[in-house]
Amino acid sequence: MKLELGNIFIKDIQFGNESKIEDGVLYVNEEAVKELVLEDEKIKSVSLDIAKPGESVRITPVKDVIEPRVKVEGRGGIFPGIIAKVDTVGSGKTYALKGMAVVTAGKIVGFQEGIIDMSGPGADYTPFSKLNNLVVVCEPVDDVKQHEYEKAVRIAGFKVAVYLGELARELTPDETHVYETYGIMEGKEKFPDLPRVGYVQMLQSQGLLHDTYVYGVDAKRTLSTIISPTEVMDGAIVSGNCVSACDKNPTYVHENNPVVHDLFEQHGKTLNFVCQILTNENVYLADKMRSSDWTAKMCRFLDLDAVIVSQEGFGNPDTDLIMNCKKIEAEGVKTVIITDEYAGRDGKSQSLADADPAADAVVTGGNANQVIVLPKMDKVIGTLDYVNTIAGGNEHSLREDGTIEVEIQAITGATNETGFGYLSAR
Amino acid sequence: MSKIKVVHYINQFFANIGGEEKADYPAEIRVGEVVGPGLALTQKFGDEAEITATIVCGDSYFNENLEKAKADILEMVKEQKPDVFVAGPAFNAGRYGVACGTICDAVQEELGIPAVTGMYVENPGADMFKTKVYIVSTKNSAAGMRAAVGQMAPLALKLAKGEPIGASAEEGYIPNGVRVNFFEKERGSKRAVKMLLKKLAGKPFETEYPMPSFDRVDPNPAVKDLSKATVALVTSGGIVPKGNPDHIESSNASHYGEYDITGVMDLTADTYETAHGGYDPVYANEDADRVLPVDVMREFEKEGVIGKLHNKFYTTVGNGTAVASAKAFAEEFSQKLLADGVDAVILTST
Amino acid sequence: MSDFIIITNNPLVKEKYEQEYPVEFQEDSFEETLKRARDRIYAGHRLLTHPLSGSVKPKETPYKSVLVSRKPGKLDMESVELIEQALGACGKFSFHPEKFGPEVFADFQLIDCTLLESALPSATAW
Repeated sequence: MKLELGNIFIKDIQFGNESKIEDGVLYVNEEAVKELVLEDEKIKSVSLDIAKPGESVRITPVKDVIEPRVKVEGRGGIFPGIIAKVDTVGSGKTYALKGMAVVTAGKIVGFQEGIIDMSGPGADYTPFSKLNNLVVVCEPVDDVKQHEYEKAVRIAGFKVAVYLGELARELTPDETHVYETYGIMEGKEKFPDLPRVGYVQMLQSQGLLHDTYVYGVDAKRTLSTIISPTEVMDGAIVSGNCVSACDKNPTYVHENNPVVHDLFEQHGKTLNFVCQILTNENVYLADKMRSSDWTAKMCRFLDLDAVIVSQEGFGNPDTDLIMNCKKIEAEGVKTVIITDEYAGRDGKSQSLADADPAADAVVTGGNANQVIVLPKMDKVIGTLDYVNTIAGGNEHSLREDGTIEVEIQAITGATNETGFGYLSAR
Repeated sequence: MSKIKVVHYINQFFANIGGEEKADYPAEIRVGEVVGPGLALTQKFGDEAEITATIVCGDSYFNENLEKAKADILEMVKEQKPDVFVAGPAFNAGRYGVACGTICDAVQEELGIPAVTGMYVENPGADMFKTKVYIVSTKNSAAGMRAAVGQMAPLALKLAKGEPIGASAEEGYIPNGVRVNFFEKERGSKRAVKMLLKKLAGKPFETEYPMPSFDRVDPNPAVKDLSKATVALVTSGGIVPKGNPDHIESSNASHYGEYDITGVMDLTADTYETAHGGYDPVYANEDADRVLPVDVMREFEKEGVIGKLHNKFYTTVGNGTAVASAKAFAEEFSQKLLADGVDAVILTST
Repeated sequence: MSDFIIITNNPLVKEKYEQEYPVEFQEDSFEETLKRARDRIYAGHRLLTHPLSGSVKPKETPYKSVLVSRKPGKLDMESVELIEQALGACGKFSFHPEKFGPEVFADFQLIDCTLLESALPSATAW
């Protein structure tokens, strides 16, 4: 599968009379976007805001972060099975609006998480502080059920992203990268001497606020499966998560999966990036057994020499991670696993809820229990009502002087387990 | 601003007094003197700090007169009122490493003065003190002096100033079990790809999170004929003859007991008890067979299920006892069990 | 007759499922609920759902529901390991009930309930 990904750099976002992209500036017609969001009868009102890097702005509680893209050639459209109809994506040509994101925010449950600070010490911990963000804050109609509200906000974000992506359809990208994977025989012939490497991505799949969708299918109702990494670049995987802000994968991370990108960088040079394997993280233990059995089996069927396994979320996924690692290693396939740690505020507790000697190559996204003091920001997009109650906060979190003391697990993307960030621990 | 005051500890060898033959050199302080590795440290300190005194002590002297040497050196350090205490680096010298660790730990604990030392990761002192003292990881010989001092000096300055100490990977100290966050130069996925390529090529790589160590023992093959086997009882549940004649500690046991049970058919409240702390001993004291099942074993012996019950049992207290101690006990009494022709052991705990 | 028992401290789970399945409800803490599951496991019941299901951390939510097998059998070591590790993880977090309003407790109940619910299709498949 071959995908040409054209990047269009967005250096600024402004509200304007007409939605368009001109000289790297995205102009957004506020009314048009609001109208789009309000198509959903579950959403009562919506407000838009723009947050730029370096500003004294805090966005919270963040639900999802999405990069606008548009499919300009080839089958299907962005977010297949959700916004576009079901059709295999991942080939042809796609444009992405780089340097910006659509951020959805809104209180779905009372203990919600997710902080993006656009400046100050907190900004170092979230990759999304470096982007120009169009923030969409949705208020639901009265008496809406939480899962209906979650879905409405989730879909609203995708719709806005697709709407903005469409503005780039006729533009010429600033740069283009070509990504190509090969069939099993084809790849073997092309790179006879290179090790065959796969990427096992574990998807959070456990219920409301803990779900991930692949081509529109709820991942917890799937068996482990194979996907071309270029499909992921067209939005084949989207997030329905909004718990565990630090180590869940927003849709942006799926679209820009760093393991995919860094494996592609070595593709054809030091390794043959064969494919991506998707597996889930279910609540039911027999499901965990089955999914990890399946993953290990596929690694063997595909004659892989090695895989990188990435995790999502806290606690029970440690068990999936270790099961996957153990079983894949037992098939003679080498593994490197990516996780994060909950070592306590003092860093002295056992970091993971599971462990095995087979897991001898671990990359860590850092200790999520680390405490940080976030200064007061001039402007809050969303609401601070929940800062006291977010994970890693406590009743003293919001101090009188407006500073917030929290664990970094409250910060969106702080300890991402696909290796999206630079944070680590020893 | 006045300079940070440093007291430096070295052994007889690095003080140029002599080698093994001078290892019994007693502790002495040289106020105002900078000796041996202290020169390199001073250079690294620049204008920020100075060594105000050097303490020299022979390695044998320190280890053989531990309490006195420790007390004497603590007194010397106390008088100098340094902001930070530096020992070594000891590289791979075992007794020197233990001395550096011991004295740094004591200076921190008793005087409240931060301390830093340096040694090779396999120096026994490293394992003993890495969770108590910052130990910079050095090469295994003095050829690594420059690199060692290059990391010890800035770490000492940070400690003296009370600045936060970064992760082991940044500061160069041997991991001490406390996980500390820091920002890497490459993102996680890139590090993962690099690690994978190394692992694939069979090259050494360093995991960022070593799994907690597992000391799993593969079970022996099953006893072929239990009815002919001599079976012994061993427990970490602290069962001892009434009165605990060998004074096995209720926690962090320093030894084990060996007791003869020839002719003993049943452990009773009058004859046996538990020495174990950390759990409610009532039921064990009421009937010690609950922890060390002599009564059942005697029945099995009578019924011919087992050949016979070994006439001695071994016991210690598991509560807080170091794994290394427990291992040492077992290595010793396993030999006795083997010598006595025991075929199998039932190991019980609390 | 189902093959499992729901051990929970979540009133919503009780209300929703007690007609259909055996529910052992007690009004106690997250940790105590895990301990009840642990006691079952030591009595030979098998753990069917992961005790740390969900990314809402232990003690950050007061509610927990766990499925164990209805019939006890031989002691299952994997269940023992999982439940002990989960109990171990409880120490890393603290719960501050005073910071939440009543509507938040309803949300916590709902999330715990949906986590449990996500296991039911698998648990009732055969």
